[in-house]
Amino acid sequence: MTTRKEIASNLVVILFGAVFLSYTTRYPLDTWESPGPAVFPLILGAVLTILGVGQLVRALWKSTRKDHREEQRDGGRSVRESLLRNSGEGKAIRMIAIFILYLLMMQWIGFFVSTFLFGIISSRLTETKDWGRPIALSAGLTLFCYLLFEVWLKLSFPRGVLF
Amino acid sequence: MADHGVLSFLLTTLEPVNFAACFFGALLGTLIGVLPGLGPAAAMAMVIPLTLKLGPTAGLIMLAGIYYGSMYGGSTTSILVNVPGEPASVVTTLDGYAMARKGRAGAALAISAIGSFVAGTFSVIALQFFAPLLARSALAFGPAEYFVLTVLGVVLLSNLTGKSRSKSLILIMIGLILSTVGMDPIGGLERFSFGIEAAQGGISFIAITTGLFGVAEVLTVMAAKEKPIEVLPVRFRELYPNRKEMKRSVGPIARGSVLGFLIGLLPGPAATMASFASYGLERSISKHKEDFGKGAIEGVAGPESANNAAAGGAMIPLLSLGLPFTPATAVLLGGMLLHGITPGPFLLRDRPDVFWGVIGSFYLGNMMLLILNLPLVGVFAKIVRIPNHYLMPIILVLCAIGAYGDNGALFDVWVMLGAGVLGYVMRKFDYEPAPLVVGLVLGPVMERSFRQALIISQGDASGLWASPLCLAMWGIALLSVILPMIFQTSILTTPEKGI
Repeated sequence: MTTRKEIASNLVVILFGAVFLSYTTRYPLDTWESPGPAVFPLILGAVLTILGVGQLVRALWKSTRKDHREEQRDGGRSVRESLLRNSGEGKAIRMIAIFILYLLMMQWIGFFVSTFLFGIISSRLTETKDWGRPIALSAGLTLFCYLLFEVWLKLSFPRGVLF
Repeated sequence: MADHGVLSFLLTTLEPVNFAACFFGALLGTLIGVLPGLGPAAAMAMVIPLTLKLGPTAGLIMLAGIYYGSMYGGSTTSILVNVPGEPASVVTTLDGYAMARKGRAGAALAISAIGSFVAGTFSVIALQFFAPLLARSALAFGPAEYFVLTVLGVVLLSNLTGKSRSKSLILIMIGLILSTVGMDPIGGLERFSFGIEAAQGGISFIAITTGLFGVAEVLTVMAAKEKPIEVLPVRFRELYPNRKEMKRSVGPIARGSVLGFLIGLLPGPAATMASFASYGLERSISKHKEDFGKGAIEGVAGPESANNAAAGGAMIPLLSLGLPFTPATAVLLGGMLLHGITPGPFLLRDRPDVFWGVIGSFYLGNMMLLILNLPLVGVFAKIVRIPNHYLMPIILVLCAIGAYGDNGALFDVWVMLGAGVLGYVMRKFDYEPAPLVVGLVLGPVMERSFRQALIISQGDASGLWASPLCLAMWGIALLSVILPMIFQTSILTTPEKGI
């Protein structure tokens, strides 16, 4: 991992720790004889923030000792260039987007119809060129989910306007 | 407990529902082990809702079957495809694949299965003796001792990934923080739920686990370039090692079993560490050093035995102390809690049926895997050729069902997706997600025992180190922090070994 990434990730940890720490003040601390619900989270938030600061100091110390010309060259690349370089990342991002759409659709058209569509769309958008196999796979997957989880396990899935 | 009682509990494994759970768990575990990327932790988390239908004994037998079945499956692809299904099988590719290229794939698979069976059985016998001993001694634990034990667990588990200790500690802290969402375990006050009804009962363990291990793995696999995979052929009649190969495997299997079991007792990626340690040991003592890397049977027998023995060893701290030392046992612990079973010293006293039933299933499962694996290796190896664009959507849907099935709330599926994206980004930033899960599991126990200990000692913090047991555990925790630092410093300052 580059020093820049390390510094960024530690800043996120410190921010998370600090926000959590400030949020714990909303709950009662009570006394040491009978510690309240805020005591344990307060300790955790403090420890996390301290660990984050420690890691950040270490990363900054490393960055001052390191010749990071190469990093600066990397940092100068545009987002588009970076995405082109890592075309795989694009596939992962597409999958996340399709999954979000799947979850949103689930509340509207129901679990089974959206699962059927999700199987087809995700296969098509990631690699597959034909329609037949994704449709067959999706139909099989949906039927399997229906029989195993709904019929046998009696799990109640979200229903929508279609099914 | 009378021996006949133990025997009757062990025999509960043979009841039809438990037998079937053991079979499907071992089969599913083998399939998961075959598939690169998806590990036993994600698979176990996905099927937890399904196991709830089976009841605690059968459900946990199934989860345990997935755990040790994956160790078996990982070796199949290592040998036939040169793709380790599990990190613990990475070292098997060195000599296993080399043997396959020489036309001895069948012998390598057979030795791997036999070694796994012997080591698995050895570790179960050891588990059967050591776990109750440890559990009985832990019965003397009060809240203070339990709190210190969880602190000790956190300190030891900060080495869980084998990478940066401070990064692991940060993730354990985040896991502990997430565990505080929902009802306060002592007073029942609602915390950090932001008015979301589904979060009032706490963050779903399954949602986090399926996200971090399942969804994040899917995204990582999607982002990686897919390579065409060549599966080396293996015929049924070739599935036996010759006399020389058998003779050369006896020692490595025995040594791998003992070494693996002992390493399994340590926190960290035990199965992986055990397989590498065994390979190193075998290479250093072998009379055929020149064969290593070119198809030495010892290079398959030792590591494959060691990683299975380690899987059994890792069950001891889980069953007797309630401490998960590996990501997979952390998920198993989560599964136990969802089944209303609290692992730890009281498990043997309160639920001997579950305790011995799970141990009994290990014997049966190991035998099933031996019978199942050899004839079906060819089929298992072909599974690895299923293209990712077909496999990954299926895994995502199953992850979503796993997360949804926990509470029947779509909120949990969103949590799973969030955890998945977080896990994916974490991998990019060199953070391994396993410690977060451990923190999430240990959090409620840690908080409850901490606050109870303070209440009992009337606010006197010295109560947390008053007993000799507490002092000893604090001492071990301190040493386990200081010793690696001293060791590291001495390496860095020694000119001959300096980095």
